[in-house]
Amino acid sequence: MKTNSLIFALLLMMPAISGCLTETISKEFAGDQVMVPDMELVIVTYDVSGLTDSMLSEFENQTGIEVTLIKLGDAGSILDYLLQHDGAQTADLALGLDNTYLQTAIEAGVLVEHLAQIENLSDSALEPYDGPLAVPFDQGWICLNYDTDKVDGENLTIPTSLWELTQEEWRGKVAVPSPATSSPGRAFMTITTDYFSNDDDNSTEWTDWWSAMADNDLIITSGWSEAYETHYTGGYGEWTDGYIGDAYLTVSYCHSPGVEAYFGGNWTHSAALDLDGASFHQVEYAAAIDGGNLIAASAFIEYLTSEPVNVNMPIENYMYPSLEGMDLPETDGFRYHSIIPTNSANVSMNTIAAEMDSWILDWNAAVL
Amino acid sequence: MKNIGGKLSVLAFSSIVLIPLFLALDRLVWVAGFDPVQWFSAIEANHLSQGSVGFTFLQAILSTIATIVIGLPIAWQLGRYKWRGSGLMRAILTMPFVIPSIIAAMGFLAFVGPHGMGFRADQDTHLWTLIIAHAWFNMALVIRFTEPVLSTLDRDLEDQLRLLPAGKTLWGKLRNLWIPLLTPSIAAAACMTFIFSFTSFALVRWITPLESTLETVLADVGERAGISGYEVYANDLVLASSLIQFTVMLASLWLMSWLQERRQSLLPQASENSNLKANPRGLLILVPGLFFALAPLVTVAWSSLRIPVREQGELTYHWGVEGWVEAWSGGYSNTGVGDALLNSLGYAGITLIVALPLGWSLAKTIHELELSKSRWSRFLDVFTMLPFAFSAVMIGLGVLLGILKLDGELNSLWLLPVLPHIMLTTPFVVRIMLPAFRGLDPSYDEGARILGLSQSERFWKIRLPLLRGPLLVAITFTLAMSLGEFGASWVVARSGEWDTLPVLIDSLRSRTGWDPLIQPTAAAAATTLMLITLLLFMTVERFRPKGEGGMF
Repeated sequence: MKTNSLIFALLLMMPAISGCLTETISKEFAGDQVMVPDMELVIVTYDVSGLTDSMLSEFENQTGIEVTLIKLGDAGSILDYLLQHDGAQTADLALGLDNTYLQTAIEAGVLVEHLAQIENLSDSALEPYDGPLAVPFDQGWICLNYDTDKVDGENLTIPTSLWELTQEEWRGKVAVPSPATSSPGRAFMTITTDYFSNDDDNSTEWTDWWSAMADNDLIITSGWSEAYETHYTGGYGEWTDGYIGDAYLTVSYCHSPGVEAYFGGNWTHSAALDLDGASFHQVEYAAAIDGGNLIAASAFIEYLTSEPVNVNMPIENYMYPSLEGMDLPETDGFRYHSIIPTNSANVSMNTIAAEMDSWILDWNAAVL
Repeated sequence: MKNIGGKLSVLAFSSIVLIPLFLALDRLVWVAGFDPVQWFSAIEANHLSQGSVGFTFLQAILSTIATIVIGLPIAWQLGRYKWRGSGLMRAILTMPFVIPSIIAAMGFLAFVGPHGMGFRADQDTHLWTLIIAHAWFNMALVIRFTEPVLSTLDRDLEDQLRLLPAGKTLWGKLRNLWIPLLTPSIAAAACMTFIFSFTSFALVRWITPLESTLETVLADVGERAGISGYEVYANDLVLASSLIQFTVMLASLWLMSWLQERRQSLLPQASENSNLKANPRGLLILVPGLFFALAPLVTVAWSSLRIPVREQGELTYHWGVEGWVEAWSGGYSNTGVGDALLNSLGYAGITLIVALPLGWSLAKTIHELELSKSRWSRFLDVFTMLPFAFSAVMIGLGVLLGILKLDGELNSLWLLPVLPHIMLTTPFVVRIMLPAFRGLDPSYDEGARILGLSQSERFWKIRLPLLRGPLLVAITFTLAMSLGEFGASWVVARSGEWDTLPVLIDSLRSRTGWDPLIQPTAAAAATTLMLITLLLFMTVERFRPKGEGGMF
């Protein structure tokens, strides 16, 4: 125990001295000078595709820290898990909380300042939150996607405002995930609160739009995959078994058409809609959990935001990297078919945390 | 209830079932406040659950009717006529019941989807697909309940009836023989089908994604329940959904227990020496029946080898084992199929070690109470079925919230997923062993006692060999149910390291499908689980007692 405490104290001081925690740990382990028995890292996350076996093995080999994953449904499930285990946390690192959930976790006091030394994070990744409790590891923009075969300017015109979607020609042709059960759904609802408070029309509220959409047979699904894969006609869903294919427009990422092209041999018939104010900058975070193994959590944060690992985010996790100067790959039209919206919704994390519960209640009343 | 073992088993079962559920309920009420009006009104006031009560009842009732319509003619053919390879046929036709529902969902979707029969795009077909899938899943119940009654019926009864004026017409035969004879069995099967359809999870989740049942509502909001001051409506929904489920299920179980007792008393009237005849025309029913039982499973295996390639908007396929390679290497998951299978087998083994003696002891205790004409026998009989009354999702939630309330640290125990498995499989052991105890001739035991054999000698030398058949059925059933268990494992916090095979399949199936290799990979994992289950089930058929009147 005494040795362990000493090593722990040493490791705690080392980042300040040497600068890089992962390197420090890996050096100590590689030299066989220090053995920290049973150093384990439990990561609570949703099914983040980027956490591949080879990537985790590399981290384990570099640091000697054994990684265990607790995989949950989505970003919201991570927050639920942290709140449910408040005071008796079983995990060390939360991976995948986004900027619609992070503030609630911070206010609940379930996160702790990490020790990782990270440079070169991009300004855009730090835009929603630039503090010591969470580190952005990837990012993207949520916006509407449409099927270019159906929304071709003849059968259906490309919408220039959200109100157009309430018109008869769009009846039953829009699918969105519910904000009560889905992170992208939550982000899209956040978009609408901002969009309709900044439009020229002062006589209607954002909830009026949702009511009008519900009257126009809006398809509301429990998650992103049901909306995109099961209902949307423009995406890969048409190749899957559960496909219904009744929606020509849905909520996804502005770079989803890029991912479609990447896996479809530089071909897609899906496009992102760059509608003024109708997109949301989503950043996903890695955060050390209060009461967890801070050293191991911080080491993983450093590893995840190191250049060789973070550069793979577009391929492994279908998201933009969080480091400065990195972009989507050009391969097979990935970058070409992706857009960065010109003007995203501007809603702070504080506002989201403060308002979300009442927004969801209002939304529920509007669509019932 | 004189024996200590019986008392201990009742105590152990009560602790395993009631403590987590009580703690979960306590935590939910603590967060939501004690306001039943608010709980129940939340269901229709929330977009998430609106219409779920009506849909749950609708699909459960229709599924029950469809199951009987499909299952009864098959049971009739199997029970009334002589068939070569009837054992194998019986195994194939009843096997769907132990196939994990997540695999059934994948099979049905592949069958009706755009690359199968292609009528998935019409939303009106969703409900019917679900009902047919439920009928596929539950037809084993109708076959298992009614076939022994048909196959052991003394033909003299029919001949005698034919001579009487009341038996001249078809309606007369139906009214005076078949309806009274089969009604208790059909009704008991209907009760169980209704229960399983009412709480069905994976099939509803995948086949009718636009509809909610109480079970999917529980799954959707369950994980955020029990947190003070946070999304309180989730607690209202969980409380209301589970209480409605509990009431409906309990009523069905009580009815089922009553019917089964009536059924048991009817059975002795039948002779085992029935004279079965050949009936080539029956193949018109049995062949489609066998096709129906196998089609979704074959489709899953087939999809695991058909590799899609997307190029310039065109989808082409080639045959290959890439899906199998990815599934076993864990390329798309953090656990490969091999590790997940070992986890599943480990959990199934531990479940068996606990559930088998527990179920045995409970069944024996119920039987002893029945012999002493104690009114507690019915109570204990229904009590052992209590986990059926709580859905798998609710049991998972109970364990999660209950354990959290006891000690959050316990939540990281790798053994935790075993608890819901024990809760869910013990009632099956009881249902299998109870009829076996009822059918055991007490004179053997009595004779051995007179010969001076001790209690343990009588157990090893008399009771165990006599009950070998049902015991093997119970063992296999426990292993198969535990291997396929999904709903509870899905809710109980999952550690990637300890993923069971069904959870791994769901995790693969839920992944974004940008990469076309995901679907064959999920299908390969599902085929592995399917083959293991099949192997177990084929084995058990060899040991099934002939004419056994039990549930399975």
